[in-house]
Amino acid sequence: MIIDTEYPDRLQYKLDPVVVEESVAKAKGALLNSIKRSVYLYRVDCGGCNGCEIEIFSTITPVFDTERFGIKNTPSPRHADIMVYTGSMTRLMRMPALRAYHGAPDPKLVVSYGACGCTGGIFHDNYCVWGGTDQLFDVDVYIPGCPPTPAQTIYGFAIALGLLDQKLHHSKIIEQPGDFAPIPFEAVPYKVRTAIQRKARLLSGYRSGKDLSNEFMQALESGGSDVLTNIQTLITRQTDPRRIEILTQLKDDLTTMLVDPNQNQQQLKQALQQLIPSND
Amino acid sequence: MFKTIKEVLRTGNATVKYPFAPLERPKDARGKPEHDAVKCMACSACAVACPPNAIQTPLDFEANTKLWSINYGRCVFCGRCEEVCPTNAIILSPEFELAVMSKADLEEICVYSLQACVECGSYFAPTKQVDYVARILSQNLNDEEAEHALESVRLCPQCKQKADVLRFKEQSKKAGEWL
Repeated sequence: MIIDTEYPDRLQYKLDPVVVEESVAKAKGALLNSIKRSVYLYRVDCGGCNGCEIEIFSTITPVFDTERFGIKNTPSPRHADIMVYTGSMTRLMRMPALRAYHGAPDPKLVVSYGACGCTGGIFHDNYCVWGGTDQLFDVDVYIPGCPPTPAQTIYGFAIALGLLDQKLHHSKIIEQPGDFAPIPFEAVPYKVRTAIQRKARLLSGYRSGKDLSNEFMQALESGGSDVLTNIQTLITRQTDPRRIEILTQLKDDLTTMLVDPNQNQQQLKQALQQLIPSND
Repeated sequence: MFKTIKEVLRTGNATVKYPFAPLERPKDARGKPEHDAVKCMACSACAVACPPNAIQTPLDFEANTKLWSINYGRCVFCGRCEEVCPTNAIILSPEFELAVMSKADLEEICVYSLQACVECGSYFAPTKQVDYVARILSQNLNDEEAEHALESVRLCPQCKQKADVLRFKEQSKKAGEWL
């Protein structure tokens, strides 16, 4: 489904994926079903940003300790049971990746690690990138994340070793007739809503601006007799001085919108007065 | 030796219990983007904001639908989709257990219908988005501009242009000045 590039197929170079022999595939299936020993892991960076390597090494620290499951990092592909490919498949790393793959004894598991390893990630449309590891090898486990946290890594290895079950499944949802998108904070007049959202985002950035304006408008919408008191309670509840400052500015803006003599939008004033009856 | 054992006992066990016990995640930890298909109106704001194009919204003119698709394998969990969503339909949950055995499982697809133009019958925008805009415009009925926009909300861009030209012609006729 996902569109990788807009160039036609005949202009794109296609890699020859490594074909796994039937007997090896059978042995691999048996290995996936029940592995009754420690597994050794060999890691190949095919052209990522090195964030994935840092996370792999934090996974083998005492806090997350993968060695309690017998997973051990090895410096040679000759000892490896699991090949971990991080980073998108780049032109220059294709041969080293293949050599490491053929260096490891069969049967072996291939793990795509990180967003780049799974699909090419943020580099998917780069000129020297062919996409994820699956362009070249038969991948057994995909571990998404940019980079995957140590917990995500442990979960991925637990799936590879059959300790845990997979949670995520392909889903296709079709719109039902009669579905409609509810307007958030519908009771607050549209122009007031946008003014508050813009001001909050201007003052504290997109992410926390959205949080702050949502909290502010919840207090506005919760209604009751006196909306301004609601907002004042919201402000006094805060402990962070930065949030207090921004919420106070938003409240000042609201009162200015209400009493501004140069208010040319008569209907906005009316709507606000309906919302805040105590302030007539 | 005794000193070392004492130190070990004092420090205790630092290793987390995960995966045998659930892992405690900090507040605002950015994990799987949870998409609410009912709240979503397929406006494509998230697809425009998505840095690695993990969210894509291709149009299917044969079935007259708009697809909303996300590939968790390409997502970098930056949260920009959450920031830009006007209906709060996509929120990054702390859910992090996303590893899968097959690539198809990384994808989520939603299908939305397109609105047909009431004049010429061509499909031009998602039905839910047109409906959302119409509801917002009907909140501002005293605004002249909003009223005219509401009249032509279910027209395709070409028909909207025609309607606007005709409206200006009428206005200038009324005002007594001919173009």
